[in-house]
Amino acid sequence: MSELLANLWMGFQVAGHPYNILFCLLGALVGTLVGVLPGIGTVATIAMLLPITFGLPPVGALIMLAGIYYGAQYGGSTTSVLVNIPGEATSVITCLDGHQMARQGRAGPALAIAAIGSFFAGCVATVLVAALGAPLTSLALLFGPAEYFSLMCLGLIFAVVLAKGSVIKAVAMVVTGLLLSMVGSDLETGAGRMTFDIAELADGIGFANIAMGLFGFAEIIRNLELPAESRDIVKSKITGLMPTRQDLIDSAGAIARGTVLGSLVGILPGGGAVIASFAAYTFEKKISKDPSRFGRGAIEGVAAPESANNAAAQTSFIPLLTLGIPPNAVMALMVGAMTIHGIVPGPQVMTKQPELFWGMIASMWLGNLMLVVINLPLVGVWVTLLRVPYRLLYPSIIVFCCIGIYSINNSPFDVVIAAIFGVVGFWLVKHDFEPAPLTLGFVLGPLMEENLRRAMLIARGDATVFFTRPISSALLITAIILLIVAALPKMRRRRDEVFVE
Amino acid sequence: MSEGVTPSPKGTLGGLPLKTHNLVGGLIMIAIAAVLLAYAIWTPNALVPRILSGAVVLIGIAVAAGVVPVHGPRDFYGGLMLVLLATLALTASAELPGQRGFAFGPGTAPRLFSILLAALGAAVALGGVFAEGAPIEKYKVRGPALVIVSILAFAGMIRPLGLVPATFLAFMISILGSTEMRWIESLVAAALMTLFCVLLFVYLLNLPFQLWPRFY
Repeated sequence: MSELLANLWMGFQVAGHPYNILFCLLGALVGTLVGVLPGIGTVATIAMLLPITFGLPPVGALIMLAGIYYGAQYGGSTTSVLVNIPGEATSVITCLDGHQMARQGRAGPALAIAAIGSFFAGCVATVLVAALGAPLTSLALLFGPAEYFSLMCLGLIFAVVLAKGSVIKAVAMVVTGLLLSMVGSDLETGAGRMTFDIAELADGIGFANIAMGLFGFAEIIRNLELPAESRDIVKSKITGLMPTRQDLIDSAGAIARGTVLGSLVGILPGGGAVIASFAAYTFEKKISKDPSRFGRGAIEGVAAPESANNAAAQTSFIPLLTLGIPPNAVMALMVGAMTIHGIVPGPQVMTKQPELFWGMIASMWLGNLMLVVINLPLVGVWVTLLRVPYRLLYPSIIVFCCIGIYSINNSPFDVVIAAIFGVVGFWLVKHDFEPAPLTLGFVLGPLMEENLRRAMLIARGDATVFFTRPISSALLITAIILLIVAALPKMRRRRDEVFVE
Repeated sequence: MSEGVTPSPKGTLGGLPLKTHNLVGGLIMIAIAAVLLAYAIWTPNALVPRILSGAVVLIGIAVAAGVVPVHGPRDFYGGLMLVLLATLALTASAELPGQRGFAFGPGTAPRLFSILLAALGAAVALGGVFAEGAPIEKYKVRGPALVIVSILAFAGMIRPLGLVPATFLAFMISILGSTEMRWIESLVAAALMTLFCVLLFVYLLNLPFQLWPRFY
């Protein structure tokens, strides 16, 4: 315990350095700014802003990225409340009650409770990350290649179960992602695989390009198909930011429950903030004395999902920092950012670069605090930004993304790849395939293949090794059970219900 | 994404009469599969992809001729495309050395996952043949096409022309995709955005960009 406190103290010293506070503030600010724009989710925001962190020292860059992450999430909920267009997937559910509150002239309290809930969830999750970091890291030392492979299988299955729509289509997307990740030079022999003799493909397809194409460009293309929008921005001036005492009492329980739920879901590989917010909302509605209030401006309907998605966003750092496995697309981008700065994510980060590990954890807390501080006064700015018509907004987003992608490697080819994946993403949506499992498959692909090959080599070609080693077999059996349960007709209906709501 | 999920009235799919729809879809499948078949025949050692793409050509012919009734075109064509993607991957990795003794070769994993993907794609497509499912949503061409063109134009212009012209022109091309575009407003916005990007990326972030065309 005292060790934990000492570590956290060290973290706060790192994060509290004036420069790092500045980076954190800047990150949270820019993240919110981009996150507020309708139609740009967290993944696209981070992919877009990745280049601006290149010039910083590693600790500063990661702190800034973490700030961008929370900012983007919070920005999304601001858009939900004010315009009824979710800025991103995690805040879809916030639209339901948040926008109703705004229409009743209570946009201020809705935003404030979202910020307060997020902050509380952030505090709890920060402690959780710090507390679970060390034990999980020592668990990671017990893991051999077979265990890693099985763990990643489990993570991918989680992603499939948590994606909406057909299970078999989600599995197909995971496999597509795995296959795409194999483009480029083979890790062991250096042989070019599926490169079609294109020199630029020898290094593989960059994850940022895929993410930008699938989540940024595809979304814009899709929005362009919709008829000219009539945006329902809250016209009335936002007065009275602070929630009343009654609001606070009403939402306290919801915030606490949302935090617990979000923290749990966030740790699961393949889980994530989206499902956390849906689950928290459904749960609140179930236990409420008067469920009919939901959808008509119930403050719990804002507090619970917002706390849950923030808690999940934060605890999803745990698998990354301890096991080196990114549990979702955002964390995959974090891996990319870490690699650029020469840090290999995994158990060794904590022992070899403690100031980075703990500095980042402390900055998570600071980042959440910043959000409370900067966002409430800046609501007016966000409203102005939301008034910019989409016809001017989308070309700006496109050129900004183009410059961003180009600047990562100074490569025009990367921009072309992103354009191709924009079309692919558009096509996927048309045929009801989910892009999220694809990205996770793509991210875990190289790690999975490497561990699979190593495990097979160590076991001298005996494929049963995955079932004879206890931890590995437990993980795989869990994965199989999950998959079967999700494919059962009864569960399928339940899943559909959750997503329809 | 709830739009388009309602089953279509009998006889029309995605706004087109059933027969035309199948004809168009079938022909597209035949065209793509034929190209892949040619590639697979040209590549040595690619027996499995030859069979797969050949099979898709036959399926395409059957669909275009109206022999196979497609009840869920969205899943049917989606699944077939995944089969074709797997075929492409199989062909492209056909010449890589496979397993030697206990060790995986570079080609083992790609082939493993390609075959898995082909199986999954086939399962999705089969679901589309038998189960009544959603039609394909209509594609609008103009907006999406202009956005893609503008991104490709940026990629083509950034090296020879520099940041300022590339940004400005890419902005202008993509804004043409909007149905409510106004010239003066757009030009002003493009200029402002270009200025903003130059200030941010070049002066604030110090990234090495060439601003203007280089004259030798």
